[in-house]
Amino acid sequence: MSWSRFFRRKQWDTERAQELSAYLETETADNIQRGMSPEEAKRVAHLKLGNVARIREEIYKMNSLGFLETTLQDIRYALRGFRRAPAFALTVILAIALGIGATTGVFSVVDRILFRSLPYRHADQLVTFGYVAPIEPNEFLTSPDFAEWGNAHGAFSSTASFNFVRDCDITQAPAARLQCAHVEWTFLPTFGIQPLLGRNFTREEDSPAGSAGPSGPDWAGGGKVALLSYGLWKSRFGADQHIVGKTISLDDQQTTIIGVLPRDFELPTLGEADMLVPEAFPATAFVHSINRPTAILRAFARLAPGVTIAQAKAALQPAFPESLKWVPPGFRNEVSLSVRTLRDRQIEDARLASWVLFGAVLAVLLIACANVANLLLARSTARQREFAIRAALGAAPARLLLQTLTESVALALAGGALGCGFAYALIKIFVAISPHGIVHLSDATLDLRVLAFTLLVSVISGLAFGFASAQRHASNDALYGRASFGFSRAFFRRALVSAQIAISFVLLVGAGLLIRSLDNLERVPLGMDTSGVITATIALNPRLYTDMSRRQHFFDAIEQRLRQLPGVSAFALTDSAPLLPGGSAASIYANIEVSGRPRTPQGTGGMVGYSTVTPEFFSALGIPIVNGHAFTEADRSPNANVAILNAVLAKRLFPNGDAVGKQVRFGPDGAWCTIVGVAGGVKYVQNNGFISTAESEYYLPLHHSQSFVDSEQKIILRTSLGPAAVASWMRSTVGSLDPTVPVTVDSMSERMSQLEARPRFNAALLGIFAALGILLAALGTYGVLAFLVVQRTREIGVRMALGAHPYHVQKMILAQGAMLALAGLVFGVAGAFALTRLMKSLLFGVTPADPAIFVGVAVFLLLVALAACYLPARRAMRVDPLVALRYE
Amino acid sequence: MPKRGTQPLHGEVLQGTLDLLILQTLILGPAHGHTIAHVIERRSEDVLQVEHGSLYPALHRLEDRGWIASFWGTSENNRKARYYRLTPLGRKQLARQTGRWDQLVHAINQVLGRARKPATE
Repeated sequence: MSWSRFFRRKQWDTERAQELSAYLETETADNIQRGMSPEEAKRVAHLKLGNVARIREEIYKMNSLGFLETTLQDIRYALRGFRRAPAFALTVILAIALGIGATTGVFSVVDRILFRSLPYRHADQLVTFGYVAPIEPNEFLTSPDFAEWGNAHGAFSSTASFNFVRDCDITQAPAARLQCAHVEWTFLPTFGIQPLLGRNFTREEDSPAGSAGPSGPDWAGGGKVALLSYGLWKSRFGADQHIVGKTISLDDQQTTIIGVLPRDFELPTLGEADMLVPEAFPATAFVHSINRPTAILRAFARLAPGVTIAQAKAALQPAFPESLKWVPPGFRNEVSLSVRTLRDRQIEDARLASWVLFGAVLAVLLIACANVANLLLARSTARQREFAIRAALGAAPARLLLQTLTESVALALAGGALGCGFAYALIKIFVAISPHGIVHLSDATLDLRVLAFTLLVSVISGLAFGFASAQRHASNDALYGRASFGFSRAFFRRALVSAQIAISFVLLVGAGLLIRSLDNLERVPLGMDTSGVITATIALNPRLYTDMSRRQHFFDAIEQRLRQLPGVSAFALTDSAPLLPGGSAASIYANIEVSGRPRTPQGTGGMVGYSTVTPEFFSALGIPIVNGHAFTEADRSPNANVAILNAVLAKRLFPNGDAVGKQVRFGPDGAWCTIVGVAGGVKYVQNNGFISTAESEYYLPLHHSQSFVDSEQKIILRTSLGPAAVASWMRSTVGSLDPTVPVTVDSMSERMSQLEARPRFNAALLGIFAALGILLAALGTYGVLAFLVVQRTREIGVRMALGAHPYHVQKMILAQGAMLALAGLVFGVAGAFALTRLMKSLLFGVTPADPAIFVGVAVFLLLVALAACYLPARRAMRVDPLVALRYE
Repeated sequence: MPKRGTQPLHGEVLQGTLDLLILQTLILGPAHGHTIAHVIERRSEDVLQVEHGSLYPALHRLEDRGWIASFWGTSENNRKARYYRLTPLGRKQLARQTGRWDQLVHAINQVLGRARKPATE
């Protein structure tokens, strides 16, 4: 059968009709010749030819595409059916739209994290390798190790080192502070990235001879060539097609632009970079030496074809003990070898949250499908008679099933289309409330891939609830108007309701646990008082302020002026503070020495952070001094060597609590400091928003003259003024000293709520899904019980006629509902017990099997189920026995 | 004209046979539906009692397979009529089917015993 015929079948039909009437005319004429009367001749001709309509129909069918034809017919029929029962169709479509919309929305977010391949060629072959240690969970490596390990005896087809993203400045008008990523010349080929314009740099350009050579102790080299990021090329160079070969002044060096990176370029570390420049290590950087510090690198590699992660790790293992010899003794026990896929490195902490969200939303979809299956079952029961008649008229069972499936898939597709709108809105909400820490969230869109997913989910769920609701036995009884309800169908419907309640239970417990965690987080005392604290970060350009005394003068002047600000009850200057980005300087615990006590280095003991602060630091942040006293202005004179330990470090070094007055030094060549006080420990907020216990820390006074002054200092104000007022005052003050210095003003409580964004995001989303789930489950329960009441109307009538009290009838129905709910709860508890354990690392201060939450959710769900049963039960109570007995 | 009481042959056998008969008829030259119907009726000696109408779907099917082709022409008594003719492909098909048909008839005869005469009323 050809398509052209299919579309021309109307015309064909006309031609056949002509042909058939030609036959009739000829035959009639022949008959008249044989001596028949004209009427008789015509009658006999018709008899001879047979049923004209049937012949035409037969030919018409031959011209049609059987499947398509019946499907179109089914769809038309389905649409007509929906038009007759718009409320039903609308309910079903809305339920599906909610389920599919939520699923699509969440899929578009987690797809980037869990499923979509990274923007590199054969990204699944890319790995990161090196050491990991408690102080640095991401792989790192020294430059000599990187050179010695090579390609791991062929396990890697290529390797590339990455020497971090560093500040760099365009030192020609208009000057700008940029971010330069320092990479090996093999970087782009390893990741399979082709520059949009120009070329990658060569091995020669990635050597000190080809570039300016290292300009600092940490080899922050930067060569004479650079590749621009797409963004910088557009914004600064106006997407100049002839940019390749032009030179710019980068950190006072003439640098040639040799290429432009593609638009979707992304650093494997997910950092931001405006330019790619060569590492340009000198040859000595690749040789181990005790006299010279070596560079710390990130190492990436592409696995050779067919090589697994485990094989690559095994290939590196022989070189590992040799390299370990160069690791400082204290570190050796803590360092281990690691090879991970790039994806694992990138999405580490987003993965679990993503799976939880995706699982939750699939659960909602499942509940929605169960609901729709139930609605369709109710409808198909009402249509039993119609189906029986069709079966009696010769419709094959397969044909009837196809009809049912066509209807359900049509409903699902309509729901899916509406769901796309819902998903669009949901993504907007996600992005609006999203914390910055969730990778790729802002990129989430409804693209073709996501729409394809939606289509797939729609069709699958349509088929699922279509099969679930398919009329299995079109019984002949239905023809006589007797509705017959097989035991299995009633059981199936109740099982669906119980399943909905079970899934809702799991969702609610999950949401409950996350909300409880959030609540716990907000209740944790941080060990400081963030209300009314405003901070300002002032960053000098280290290239312009190279002289330490200039820095010192600048900050002294700032301190002088800002101290005068009215409404400020405490003022402090510090190089680091809790909750602020940038972290703090740190020394190794094992290097801390107490006077009169031998050092016993056993491991590193981890890192101990320290801050250099002015005396009012503690009162500005509300950190209590539990022993001794805070710094005084006198402690800021250059020859006053004093320190304040926090309670954690004090307890560690001086378990007897006699820290004040003792002498310590924080490094083998440091000065001995007298401990003047012990401050309360401040808890830290981790990247995932959780609050960790207070870590060991100490404080040093900010001297009036120091050998090193950090170019970035933080100002902490305890004030009754709003952040906006402080910001303008601060900017004008700083601006009067140097108008080019950027100032970032934050309120500490805002900062705190930013840090809590991630747990809040998870809790909010799971809460929304749980609410959706329970709403759908309640509707499902109501629907089934209402149906059961209608079904048992006659029985109830008999009972009441025999003297049953309406109250008992009501109780009977409620009990039936309660049974459904209890069955659901049993499975729900089992399911929740198994599943919530998996989200353990998302929880804070609550165990996955928290009894209070389990019991609370169970009671709540039971109440919801009973409420859903209440209306049907009341209707049952009001059954009029006379009417009921005449029912049917 | 089909006689009352005869059981029309159903399904594959009829279809295959009818196809064969149509092709056989057209080997003599182009003909329109009415002519083909009467030729077949005469030839089959009333064994194949078919409504002439069932001829048309068969013609359509054969044309669809490219075994016959059709064109509009004028009949003997000056009426517009649709003529069918055998295509080269149809000619080949006829040869093949005749061979197969002969085999089938032979086989059936063996099973039933040669003595049986064709069923008549």
